[in-house]
Order: sequence, then structure tokens, then C-alpha cells
Amino acid sequence: MDIGITIAAILTLAIYSFLYKDNPFYKTAEHILLGVSVGYFVVITITNTLIPKLFIPIFIEGKLIYIIPGVLGLMMFLRFHRRSAQFSRIPLSIIIGVGAGAAIPAYMQAQLLAQIKATMLPLTNLSNIIIIAAVLTVLVFFYFSREHKGVMGFGAKAGIYFLMLFFGSTFGYTVMARVSLLIGRMQFLLHNWLGLIN
Amino acid sequence: MLRKLPLYICFVFGTFMLAQFFIPHPVSTALYKMVLDWVQIIYALSLLVGAAMLIKHHTLIASKPVAKDRQYSLIVLFGIFIMIITGLFFGRGNKTVFLWIFNNIQAPMQATMFSLLSFFVASAAYRGFRARNAQSVFLLGAAIIVMLGKVPIGDMITPYIPQSADWLLNVPSMAARRGIYIGIALGTIATSLRVILGIERTYLGGK
Amino acid sequence: MDAVGGKRINIRHIIFILMALAVALPLIFKLGLPLRVTDEVRDVYGFIDSLPENSTVLISFDHDTSTLPEMVPLAEAILRHCFRNNIKVIGLALLAEGAAVGDDNLRRIAGEYHKEYGRDYLFLGFRPQFTVAILSMGEDIAREFPRDYRGVDIHNYPIMNNIKNYKDISAVISIADGDMPLYWINYAQARYGVKVIPEVTAVMATTMYPFLQSGQLVGLVAGLKGAAEYEKLLGKPGLASKGMDAQSTAHILIVLLIIVGNVVYFINRRKMRI
Repeated sequence: MDIGITIAAILTLAIYSFLYKDNPFYKTAEHILLGVSVGYFVVITITNTLIPKLFIPIFIEGKLIYIIPGVLGLMMFLRFHRRSAQFSRIPLSIIIGVGAGAAIPAYMQAQLLAQIKATMLPLTNLSNIIIIAAVLTVLVFFYFSREHKGVMGFGAKAGIYFLMLFFGSTFGYTVMARVSLLIGRMQFLLHNWLGLIN
Repeated sequence: MLRKLPLYICFVFGTFMLAQFFIPHPVSTALYKMVLDWVQIIYALSLLVGAAMLIKHHTLIASKPVAKDRQYSLIVLFGIFIMIITGLFFGRGNKTVFLWIFNNIQAPMQATMFSLLSFFVASAAYRGFRARNAQSVFLLGAAIIVMLGKVPIGDMITPYIPQSADWLLNVPSMAARRGIYIGIALGTIATSLRVILGIERTYLGGK
Repeated sequence: MDAVGGKRINIRHIIFILMALAVALPLIFKLGLPLRVTDEVRDVYGFIDSLPENSTVLISFDHDTSTLPEMVPLAEAILRHCFRNNIKVIGLALLAEGAAVGDDNLRRIAGEYHKEYGRDYLFLGFRPQFTVAILSMGEDIAREFPRDYRGVDIHNYPIMNNIKNYKDISAVISIADGDMPLYWINYAQARYGVKVIPEVTAVMATTMYPFLQSGQLVGLVAGLKGAAEYEKLLGKPGLASKGMDAQSTAHILIVLLIIVGNVVYFINRRKMRI
């Protein structure tokens, strides 16, 4: 039997032991997972991003301009030094500024205008009427600048019912997703490890 | 000046990204590509700060001989050390130790950890989901219709169940989600403008 | 803890055992329940089928390992379809763990169809800042990924000969356990007009419907069920199809638990009033 599969199966059972109660086997597995995950992340970030995007341009291709983002990135480590910690805000402000500037046209185009346009449906059937009513009433529910009274109150209440249908559907799909994960692990234990199923 | 410098930098970069969208001139596009490269590098290095903080935290615990749960911190550090050594010096491709650990330790454990939720969902289904009022009846009804309508057995009971599930997902649920998305879009645009203009400063740790 | 038959037993543990049995037994003793293919999955399948040979698609492995039981069958089905139709695949990952998984999946499925690395498929690797990565690829993919996952200059690969940016890509397929397809819509489709196909976990399905109805998405393949439907269309049942019986029985169990839980609750409430 493949030693890798046996180890994976033992670790899988160690994590399932938590279902009985918290125990040292679970805790050990949990901390192994934390360690290898962080190690993996560090390796992939260095080898996949920093080497091709920073080290090779500077040290092999001689593009010295890349020293600037390199230094800015390293300034993030100043967080560890109390007196110099404020300098780490400079690279952070670049990331935030770029993100905010890029988000405005993107959200305007793809989420606001496109979604409003898709709601402009002909009132020719019940489904279309429900779609328009649901979008409007949910927006009313999330509009807190005016008290939910009268027409606003009725709209907000109707919005809650539509939201409940959405949350219910999402819960149904969440169950589906979680069960799928369990099926995957069961298939591993019963097929790959024990060989009980094809 | 030093305190306000990040606000000015944020304004310059935010305005540039916004302007570049509307004026894709070759000069601005060249600058735009450079900015994107820079952000990718800064971001990658900033992620390593998180890893460094975790290593620092566990090193502190592991270095105290009488610390509670010290052995677990040693395990974390050992895991990080093994992955870094194997990944950086012995390759990451097919048939490497790094990939072997990933496939046989990290991936199965991570997947198992999340599959635990299926048991807790089952437990919550019995103990938590109560049809106490009309709203919760709507919630439970939608959940049951989707749960049955989206698996083969729903079809076998009656074709109306999958049909109802499809209608529910494509009409009221979809529209409610759209309302949320429109709200999120408005909020994102407003917050982004506030960030660029220096009104929103919480990301700098201030008020 | 609930008192049952004079002994104090933990209802939670009974439910856990029932759940394990509801999933394990149908895997061992197959029921063979029939599977219906939904329109949104058929749309994706039809779109991939309509692509001419030697078109190129970008497949982004935007997920962690936590959702592998859903993500792997989804990835396998779409990769098999692409390689069967001689469509070229360029892979990448916008979440770190997707990098090793994506590389592994591509290599494995490409091997089934005797496809050659660098000519028929390529794996670019991981980029952490996904907004920037998506925007940057809209200008120049080779600038964002100067080297592939193996560290080789991507200009050395023939697959990149006619590929500059999204204009040369037929569709972006985001295999995601979060809302990454929405970032592809916001930053790649809205700005550069590329078609987006989401292959997501079931949890994320409801968040995709507004974009499906608005025509911003080609179709939707969600969860293990979506993967099973795709496998059925492909005529190649795999892990997902084999899990569908267990999916049904587990759902029935949860519905029963909700009903029993409510009946017990209302009986107890009535007793309390009396």
C-alpha cells in the first residue's frame, strides 16, 4: 500500500476524531496543517512571484527600476519595529490607492449598470414582475437613511421575505457543498485507502 | 508631512488608476503596466509579513521551556521549515518531496477539516432550524426545495420539486441577491472615492 | 445532552453517525439514481463544444485545498472536454494552493489525451494580488507571467506564439471556491470583453445567478452535482457521478432532521404551555 495514502488516511481520521471531542491527535494534526500550509504559501510566493517578478528583473536582466517596488515591499516589514512602523503605511497606501482607483469603474460597469440594465424587464409575466419587486424591496430594506414607515416600511418588510428566500436557497446549496466535501473524503477512505469501492 | 504622505500617495495612485481607465494613452498605459507590476511585488512581500508574524509568535512560545502547548508550536515551526527547505532547494514539480507533502498531508487534512462542517450542518439542522414565524418558514421552505430539487432524488419524488428549485433560484433568490449586489456596488464606489480623497483613513490605523 | 431511555446519550454523536452512514452506504451499495442535466451546465458544455479546434482558453484555479472534493471533479470534467476537442489550455492560479493543484490536474488530464506541455497546454503559476493580475493580463499576459510555474521563459513555448492578451483567449474559466468569477467579470470582462465561465462550489452558486441572468456569464457549473452533469454530457462518469447517490441520501437525512427537530420543538412547546 502507498505510504502516502496511509499517512493521509491516518491524518484524516485524526481530524475526524474531533467529532467525538477535542483531543491531542486532532490538535497535532491541526498544527501540522498550519505549519505545512504556511510553509507552502511562503515557497509559492517566493518561487512563483518574487523570483520572476523581482529577483530575475533586478539581478539577471539588470532592470534596476524594480529596486523601488522591492524596497517599498520590504518597508512592510518595518511593522516589526515600533519606531519605524509608520513607514509601512507608504507601501500600504499604494496598494489601497490602486485598488480603490481600479474598483470604481469596474463596479460601476459590471455590477451597478449591468445589473440595473438586466432588471429593466418587460412586465409581461409574473416572474419579471417578481424580479423587479424583489430588487426594489431589497434595496429599500438596505436603505437606512429614512425610517422604515408607511410605503418604505411595507417595502422593507417585503424585502425581508425575498432575502429569506435567498438565504434559504443559499443554505440549501451550502448543505450540498458540505456534503460533497464529506463524499470526497469518504471516497478517499473507502476507495483509495481501504479499497472497499471501485 | 510624514503622517499625511500615505494619503497623498493613495490619492495620486487612485486618481491615476481612475484616469487611466478613461484615457488609455500609450504613455499612461506604459505607466499603468508598471504600476501593476509594482503593486504585485509590494503585495507579495507584504504577504510574507503575515507569515513572518506567525513564525515570530510560535518561535516565542517554542523558546519558553515551560510554555503551555509548546509542543504544538514546535510542530508548526517544523512544518514551515520542512516545506521551505524542500520547496526552495529540492524543487516543486512532479515527484518532489514538496509535492508529496502537499498531496498527502496538506491537501487531505485541509479538505477533511472543511468536511467536518457537514456533520455540524446536520446537527444544526436538527437543533437550530425552527419554523418559529413566517420569515423562517420562507427560509426553511426555500432550503428544503433547493436541497431536494438539486439532487437526483428530487426528480424521482416529483418533477415539480426541481422545477420549483430552478424557479426559486432564477427569480426571487436571484433578484434578492441582485439587490444586495447593487448595494455592494454603490458602497464600494462610495468607499473607494472616500479612500482616494483621504476621507476614509481606517486602513492606516487611524479614525 | 438529551435523556433517552434513562441513559444520557449525546444526540449530536448519533446525528454524526447517521450522517456518516448516509454518505458511506450509498457509496458502497449503489442506487443508480438518474441525473438531470440543467440548462446552465448545458450552456457551458455547448459553448466549449462550439469553439473551433486550437482555440485557447484560460483556466484559473482560484481555490484552496479545503474544497478539493468539489473542485477536482469540476476541473477534470472541463479539462477533459477541452483536450478532447483539441482546445489549448493556459492554466494559472489566483490563490496559492490552486497552483500545486492546477499543475497536477493539468499534467494528469493532459496525459490522458497525450497532450504536450508548452504546445497544447501551459501552467503559468500563482499571482497573489488577483485584481492586479487580472488587469495586467488584459494588457499583456507575458508581462504578468514572464515565466511559467516551472520557471521557464514563456516565450519559449509555441502555445504563446499568437497569444498576447484576452483578445486572443476564447474564454476564462474560473474554478473557484469563492467569488473570484465576479472579479473576472469586474476586471476582465467589463474592461476587455472576455467571456467568463464560473465553475464554483455549491456554496457560491446563488451568488452567480444575477450574472447568469444578465448574460455576463456563459453558464454555470456548480458543485459536485454540476460536475456530475458535465460528466454525463461528456459520457465519461467520474468521481462526481459516483457521489450523486450519497448526495441524495445525505440531503434526505438533513431534511428529515429539520422536520423531526421542528416536530420535537413544537411538541415540547405545547407541553410547556400546558
